[in-house]
Amino acid sequence: MIKVSNLSKKFADLAVLKDINFVVDKGDIVVIIGPSGTGKSTLLRCLNYLETPTTGQIHIGDVTIDAVSHKAKEVTALRKQSSFVFQNYSLFANKTALQNVAESLITVWKTPKSEALATAESILIKVGLTDKLHAYPSQLSGGQQQRIGIARAMAAKGEVILFDEPTSALDPEWVDEVLAVMKQLAVERQTMIVVTHEMQFAKEVADRVIFMEDGYIVEEGTPQQIFEQPEHHRTRAFVKRALKQS
Amino acid sequence: MQSSFDLQYIIELMPILFKYLGVTMEMALWGFLFALILALGLALVRVFKIPFVQYIASLYISFFRGTPLLVQLFLLYYGLPQFMPIFIGMDAFTAAVVGLSLHFSAYMAESIRASIIGIDKSQMEACLSLGMTRLQAMKRVILPQASRVATPSLMNYFIDMIKSTSLAFTLGVAEIMAKAQMEASSSFKFFESFFAVALIYWVVVLFFTRIQYLLENRLNKAY
Ligand SMILES: Nc1ncnc2c1ncn2[C@@H]1O[C@H](COP(=O)(O)OP(=O)(O)OP(=O)(O)O)[C@@H](O)[C@H]1O
Ligand SMILES: [Mg+2]
Repeated sequence: MIKVSNLSKKFADLAVLKDINFVVDKGDIVVIIGPSGTGKSTLLRCLNYLETPTTGQIHIGDVTIDAVSHKAKEVTALRKQSSFVFQNYSLFANKTALQNVAESLITVWKTPKSEALATAESILIKVGLTDKLHAYPSQLSGGQQQRIGIARAMAAKGEVILFDEPTSALDPEWVDEVLAVMKQLAVERQTMIVVTHEMQFAKEVADRVIFMEDGYIVEEGTPQQIFEQPEHHRTRAFVKRALKQS
Repeated sequence: MQSSFDLQYIIELMPILFKYLGVTMEMALWGFLFALILALGLALVRVFKIPFVQYIASLYISFFRGTPLLVQLFLLYYGLPQFMPIFIGMDAFTAAVVGLSLHFSAYMAESIRASIIGIDKSQMEACLSLGMTRLQAMKRVILPQASRVATPSLMNYFIDMIKSTSLAFTLGVAEIMAKAQMEASSSFKFFESFFAVALIYWVVVLFFTRIQYLLENRLNKAY
């Protein structure tokens, strides 16, 4: 389970996140939507402590961490509980697909190398990259790279996978294959928090949708509630615009 | 006194000088090895901004880049024993290797640091997001990528170091330059002697430049 309480984040004087509270149950797929610059990425990055929150507690799995009193050990422990899929993939440029996926098992979880590579191979087969095991990121398409990015996050044994706009850097032709992998994960009830502009994906896959604006969670509910009967006028305005575009 | 250029003398001198090239190369290789280890440590201290130590590292780098190698060698070999008796027993070869290492480590640290900083920040973030420590990230992802970037300039420093070993003759190391100097003062054929030693340095440098070129080609193909 994931619990975020009273989370806030300031960059110098700029308050980007303001009193964020939410809970994600194991197996839930939560989609975060909202206009550009409202702090969606910052929220995900705080969950992983890639950004240090200004205040607030984050609880994931068996780790609880408080922004004010956090220690380096707790940060590493928290990060083991989640993994991140980046907008621009951020694959390790010096490692093959297989090595990218096996890396966390070898370095973080101290799995014997042969076992780690076997696990990595089975995950890459699952995301449809059987023939690219030994390719370097630079030799692959965006869609292939992002599927490796997801495979790498899957291998990391975390409680939850955090996706920050996983398809928005992709050429349109590669979007579907990445969404397909994510849908497959959803079917398996992998806990996910996904920031995306893909409204169709949110409607189909999400258990819950969070609408953020200006550093606040304005409204959250089922896709049905958010997309068809939004309570807040700002949600209504955003959803109307977003659905028209897609 | 005027005499004509004595090619025959150069041809005879070459094999004699060549025997001392071993000492020169030994100094350069040991010097480079220690410099590399020191430089890596210095670079990491600065990249990780380790409290207090990073300022010592900066001071160290500033001093060894800001003063001539010859002065550093003299300080080390002739100066230090005056206050620190353990240095009295230090032989000239060791002093030269230590001096070269200290001097070049300062330059190499900066070039290693620059290549680490040049690696996209997203690579470190990806490591951290998986639960790796910064040190693990450095070892497994950042340094392997940075070393590819740093290799050409580190090779340049190695070549520079080979040439700089010639200063060791001022400490009395019997290397190739010292031998040339000795031959010159006994034969009075100064030009020929120093021209011969110049040729040898040149060939050695060309050889390592070639290796540098091949190495860079291989690195560019790696991924
Ligand atoms: N490292 C930083 N330093 C200063 N300001 C930052 C930093 N990172 C983000 N911001 C600011 O925080 C605000 C929220 O940014 P964030 O990237 O979280 O928004 P977002 O909702 O993900 O937007 P988008 O949909 O465009 O990705 C923006 O105003 C941004 O300029
Ligand atoms: Mg964003």
